[in-house]
Amino acid sequence: MHASIPKAEAVSAACGVAGHALVEARLSEIPVLRDPPATPGVPTLPARFLRHCDEQTIVGMRAVLAAIAAHPEPRPSFTDYGVVAAPCQAGRIATAQSLAMLRTAGGVAVSPHIVPQCSLHSLAGAVSVALGMHGPNVGTSGGRQAVSEGLFTALSLLTAGSATAPSIPGVWLVLSGWTAEPALDMDGKPARGPAADSAAFDPVCRAVAVALTAAPEAAGTGRRLRLRMPTAVRIARQDDDADGSAGAADEILAFARALAAGDDGSWSHLCPWGADIQLGSGVAAAGAAPAAPRGQSLREAA
Amino acid sequence: MIVVPQPARESVAITGIGAVSPVGNSFRDIADSLLAGRTGVRSIDPGAFARESHQFAATVEQIPAPPPGVCPLDAQGFADLTRLERMCVSPVAHAIADAGFGPQRGRLRIGLVLGLGAEHLKTWELDFLAGGTQVFTPRPADTLVQRVARLMQLQGPAVTVAAACASSGYAMALGRTWLQAGWVDACVVGGCDVLSPTALAAFYNLRALSRRSDDPAKASRPFDRDRDGFVMGEGGACFVLERLSAASDRGARVYGELAGVGMSSDAIHMVTPCSDSTQAARAIAQALADARVTAAEIDYVNAHAAGTPVGDAAEAGAIRLALGRAADGVPVSSTKSMSGHLISGAAAFEAVACLAAIDRQAVPPTLNLDHPDPECQLDHVPHVARCRPVRVVASNSFGFGGANLCLVIRAAA
Repeated sequence: MHASIPKAEAVSAACGVAGHALVEARLSEIPVLRDPPATPGVPTLPARFLRHCDEQTIVGMRAVLAAIAAHPEPRPSFTDYGVVAAPCQAGRIATAQSLAMLRTAGGVAVSPHIVPQCSLHSLAGAVSVALGMHGPNVGTSGGRQAVSEGLFTALSLLTAGSATAPSIPGVWLVLSGWTAEPALDMDGKPARGPAADSAAFDPVCRAVAVALTAAPEAAGTGRRLRLRMPTAVRIARQDDDADGSAGAADEILAFARALAAGDDGSWSHLCPWGADIQLGSGVAAAGAAPAAPRGQSLREAA
Repeated sequence: MIVVPQPARESVAITGIGAVSPVGNSFRDIADSLLAGRTGVRSIDPGAFARESHQFAATVEQIPAPPPGVCPLDAQGFADLTRLERMCVSPVAHAIADAGFGPQRGRLRIGLVLGLGAEHLKTWELDFLAGGTQVFTPRPADTLVQRVARLMQLQGPAVTVAAACASSGYAMALGRTWLQAGWVDACVVGGCDVLSPTALAAFYNLRALSRRSDDPAKASRPFDRDRDGFVMGEGGACFVLERLSAASDRGARVYGELAGVGMSSDAIHMVTPCSDSTQAARAIAQALADARVTAAEIDYVNAHAAGTPVGDAAEAGAIRLALGRAADGVPVSSTKSMSGHLISGAAAFEAVACLAAIDRQAVPPTLNLDHPDPECQLDHVPHVARCRPVRVVASNSFGFGGANLCLVIRAAA
């Protein structure tokens, strides 16, 4: 995937991890999840809020709510938080159904919800709207690099700001994808298959939600995400025909496991442009000494 | 946020422009069109799946091929791309060429951030309309941004962002952050969109589109009492951003400075614009503070104003709330009256309009503003451009999901 291994650089940015949760649901389970959950201590969504949402929005929203529920009291206010969401090929089932309807019944049959609810921005927008977050909300990636682009965009938003226009206090990062893209029939409906082949016909939608704080010491968990940027060009991008969706889902699972396990430095992610993102503990010092050069084998050591 | 010692936030210069739009495909042509009040809205062939028997839209007639020497695609290779790919590659390549980055750019960390709100939807739809079945049996593929980064040999970070109709403005904001953090040496930023039957039908069914059927040139009527929705457009724009010092060192032409950014969310509704202008005004105020300019220093506001009844009035309220009494003397116009609404590409295209205002020292008009809505009381520029000194410009963009964005662009010193 990467033509060369980048040398590790000084820490370019870091943030705290205030909370997290992983939620998984099979395709067949998702219709039930459209009814908003009632979890004590967690904001209640309007009754029909998830009715027209994409499947990844539903699972991603559940992950955010689970992370809030798991957060020890007192919970911080998330009102000024931003939201970054990186779903993988979101909206495909609704798009397939819309295109099938377009073919048979024309434009009158196209759902008005397809653009607002099934586009790349939709998961981030839904979290922002549902939970009353006034920081910027933005979708990112949509493809196999969802983990790279999601993490990098979240760290970018936390880095933005200036003395006259301060940064936001935190960002909810939601990463989501399917273990395998759902098989669809030509009407866009999920195809039925043998129960034994559930991996293909009833795949798992997976989402991890992470609350990142601009001030690492405010996170409370002691966990940090650190970004090291290359200071010179040393990566040559190459084509990669790997399965993008399943690849993203696997990376999401590895990240979630590392978050849950609390293994210091046990998870590291190398972006295609050479940026290295590590999950660890302790306060990152300014311009901290670079770690030893590491290879891709450490990309997912957990 | 930690901790990392960074140089003082440095000014970020715009040194290259590439654009594909209904009113021109170069900075000069777009400036000419906007300041002359020429519309790109026309009647279009509604196609087999159309919602109505006739439809208006602002279409791109021709997507220019990349200039020689910038991109390895030959004419046939470019023609073989999908329409969305061409709409994306063309402004990226032209912006890089305009900035004067030749083969030596491989030694620079050049990032790429594009606002593409519905890349997959459009890709699947284009394939479907051509008889394909990708949407039913998708083949995993990199995103368009990742492929364009490889094609253009850009070695920095490459990210797609989506904030609905503010997408390409968020891309500009992100690229500016990377430059100021020292993560890249330059960054190509912007975004684009293409018209498609599904998008036209979906927005029509949302009752977001104008239902006028008499004269295409009259359909897009931002701030007008008789507005009834927006007219969809297609196209977009890309820019090369650099730190001002680096641009000066290499003698690059500086079109302007991306001086300030403000972003916020309404957090009220996924679709309907928020009638409470507080958060939109907060984004404008943040952008002014970030640029260290006062409301009185703003010479022009390029409004998001798409022509929807609720959205235009809410934006007028936000401008008034953010600028206060200074709003009485700040010209405001909506170039969507000419370009239509470029959706993901709108914010970037409207940044071109802002640079045109700075370059020509004139404010482009809002066409069809025959009867300004009393709910939208601003210093409008109806029908014809207004000549005046233009040094600092604010440009608003708002999108589904309650996304608010304001960019402040300043003339080069």
